[in-house]
Amino acid sequence: MRLDLRTVLRELWATGAGRAGLLLFGLLALAALWVVLTFPRDFGPRRWSNPALWGDYPKAAPPAWTNLLGPRRPEHRILETRAPAREDGKLKVYELAFDFQGRQPPTFLSFSLADVTYRSGPPTVEAVLIRPDGGEVPLFRTVISGPFPGEAPPYRRHQDEPLRVALDSDPNAVEATYGYLLEQEPGVDYDAVQRQLPLALFGRWVDGGLVPLEGRYRLEARVRVEDPGDRVGRVRFVAGGAVYGAMGTDAQGRDLAQGLLFGLPIALLIGLAVATLSTLLGTALGLVSGYAGGRTDLLIQRAADVVNNVPVLPLLIFMVFVLGARLWLILLVLVLFSWPGLTILVRSMVLSLRTSPEVEAARALGASRGRIIVHHVFPHIAPFIFATLIFSAPSAILAEAGLSFLGLGDPTLPTWGQILEQGFRTGAVYLGYWWWILPPGLLIVLTAIAFMLISLGLEPIVNPRLRRGQ
Amino acid sequence: MDLSLLRPLLFRALTLFGVLITVLVLLAVSLGATGFSDKILQATVGEELRALRTSLTQTIRDPDQLEAALEARRQELLASYGLDQPWYARIPGMVWRVLTLDLGEARNLRSYDGSSRIADIVLERLPNTVLLLTTATVITAVIGILAGVWMSTRVGSRLDRFVAYLAAVSYAVPTWWLGILLVLVLAFELELLPPGGMYSAPPPEGAFARFLDLLWHSVLPVLTLVLASVGPSIYSIRTLTLNIAQEDHVAVARAKGMPEPVVRNRHILRVAAPPIVTGLILGLAGSLGGSILVETIFDWRGMGRLYYDAIAGTPDEGLIVALTFMFTLLYVIARLVLEVLYVWLDPRVRYEGGP
Repeated sequence: MRLDLRTVLRELWATGAGRAGLLLFGLLALAALWVVLTFPRDFGPRRWSNPALWGDYPKAAPPAWTNLLGPRRPEHRILETRAPAREDGKLKVYELAFDFQGRQPPTFLSFSLADVTYRSGPPTVEAVLIRPDGGEVPLFRTVISGPFPGEAPPYRRHQDEPLRVALDSDPNAVEATYGYLLEQEPGVDYDAVQRQLPLALFGRWVDGGLVPLEGRYRLEARVRVEDPGDRVGRVRFVAGGAVYGAMGTDAQGRDLAQGLLFGLPIALLIGLAVATLSTLLGTALGLVSGYAGGRTDLLIQRAADVVNNVPVLPLLIFMVFVLGARLWLILLVLVLFSWPGLTILVRSMVLSLRTSPEVEAARALGASRGRIIVHHVFPHIAPFIFATLIFSAPSAILAEAGLSFLGLGDPTLPTWGQILEQGFRTGAVYLGYWWWILPPGLLIVLTAIAFMLISLGLEPIVNPRLRRGQ
Repeated sequence: MDLSLLRPLLFRALTLFGVLITVLVLLAVSLGATGFSDKILQATVGEELRALRTSLTQTIRDPDQLEAALEARRQELLASYGLDQPWYARIPGMVWRVLTLDLGEARNLRSYDGSSRIADIVLERLPNTVLLLTTATVITAVIGILAGVWMSTRVGSRLDRFVAYLAAVSYAVPTWWLGILLVLVLAFELELLPPGGMYSAPPPEGAFARFLDLLWHSVLPVLTLVLASVGPSIYSIRTLTLNIAQEDHVAVARAKGMPEPVVRNRHILRVAAPPIVTGLILGLAGSLGGSILVETIFDWRGMGRLYYDAIAGTPDEGLIVALTFMFTLLYVIARLVLEVLYVWLDPRVRYEGGP
């Protein structure tokens, strides 16, 4: 029986499980490909594990779509502009506008600017909130740091580290807001403004309390420059929400959707790499053991017996602990402990094939040992080996996830197991942060099920007796 | 028992002992070859010398004399830890020490009565792991056998297909994640069961009340382990029983007019028993690994949770070596028990010339 890839795929497609498995796997593989093409290679250390990058995100916020199911909570908004909306000689105005609706004000407010370039004198920056009632609240003003002694123009500031102000706790912002509200309505309580600054900024003082004021707000960053060529590369205003994105955020404010997506190609890589390598190793050893016989056979079988009887997880924990948590090392250890089962099976298959008429004929014709193994033994067991390969992929993914969950994952590559581990360590389970706990596990299950379904669909190919109508 | 049955048992015992020694040598070599054990031992020596220096400064005033005394002690310590020899010369001693449970001192973790000896800590945790693991295994086996045999008379039914899917999905679901889900739903959403720990705080008075409390806390971890393995267990026992039920000797027994319970118990189950035990043997390594993670989730004070604690914070190398060894030992012992059961159930076993 000769099988090429096209026949295998056709046969697979013919079974329900095979079709579902192929579709699911195709979907996952496409998503993984997209991630590989669009995410930076050093996503782990540069972005995921860089707390500075996630400061503008809400902490432990559920996904935005939960608003459809329960009470409406403010959505997270990141407004950003890179070019001034108006220019008036030496004044450049960057404008960020947004609609505020609903009962709850943003959970926090942050204003930041980055990538400032100037030639002679440092620019001054003023942030002003313009409210729907026409009022202007000057929130914050500062001067960009001046030239250092010996520094030559153009002077660049805030290239890597943006200038960031937490407006919701800034004393100037409190004073300004209090002053503005007092003009509108006498009797405003200073403490209330200080306590609930976001609500005061996006609200009015009515009957002794703050109520939200819906409408269109604009935040203007007024930059006064000395030289018309001076510029600010990026102005950002963040109105913190209580919900975020498609998958929510973790306790550090990291966008879980990004981490989960990045975990996908890694999971597929772990599954496929370990399955392929251990299948290759197991098959090769099984072929040699079965065909060579004698002392080689005895040695391989004894080794297989011992390795097969070793409880893998404790040893895996130990090896990774001693040798270091690097992904390739985890893969290597998994490969080294997962070959014996296949070796024992392949050997017994080879033993029965050795006496088959086909092999005897080939031997009589003077074929070499290698040629017999490659051309007359291997093709008969190939479908079985292919099925084993697919079947063994999930266990590798699960093993890596378990290891990561114990805190032994490769820290430079965020995986689903690590996201779960961080969730567990931070107490997400006890705090009911389900969006942090469910999706990574579900993705592990989904990926494993894709492989399981394909291997179920392969059954009729491996075991021709199961083929329909035959 | 027939004496001839001892030979195969002895053979298996030797293989398993070989596994134990291989694992130990592997541990020793990877610790030695990576310079890891040198690092640990040097740190231990350094710590002892620091303590000694503090106490000696009280009595010895002359700095030169103090240094000389410390240096002499250092040489003594290096020799006693074998640091004056290359790592491969230390292996036999190390293997022997671990085999005799001379496991050293833990860094931060203590046993409940405050001992820092690793052997004390591990031995105190061992019964908890064994309790959890055996309870889960026994429940899984009993459900597997009862449901599997019953299911084999209803092949093709909707329930049968459900079990087949359950078995397939079980391979894809990480046991520990299932545990987290159960905590999330049963302990926090519905508040039916305690989310973790082994006893309530404070534990109830009286031995019987304490036992009930322990039972109460063990429901979730045991449920997790059982849920993870019961699907494949039922399915494989169903398939085994089904295959045997189709054999000739069963048809003959029925043709002789034997009552159905006798056919089932004597002619089907008796024959299916050894392969069922084999299934248990194969599942053992998996449930052992599963128990490490499940203990971690449920804060079950066994050896698995100890692993997690030993890795977290400042990792404790000595403890991790000891735990890896203890888990292998536990596995080997459980295997031996099952092998005895197997030989007892299947008198045909003869291992002439190996398997």
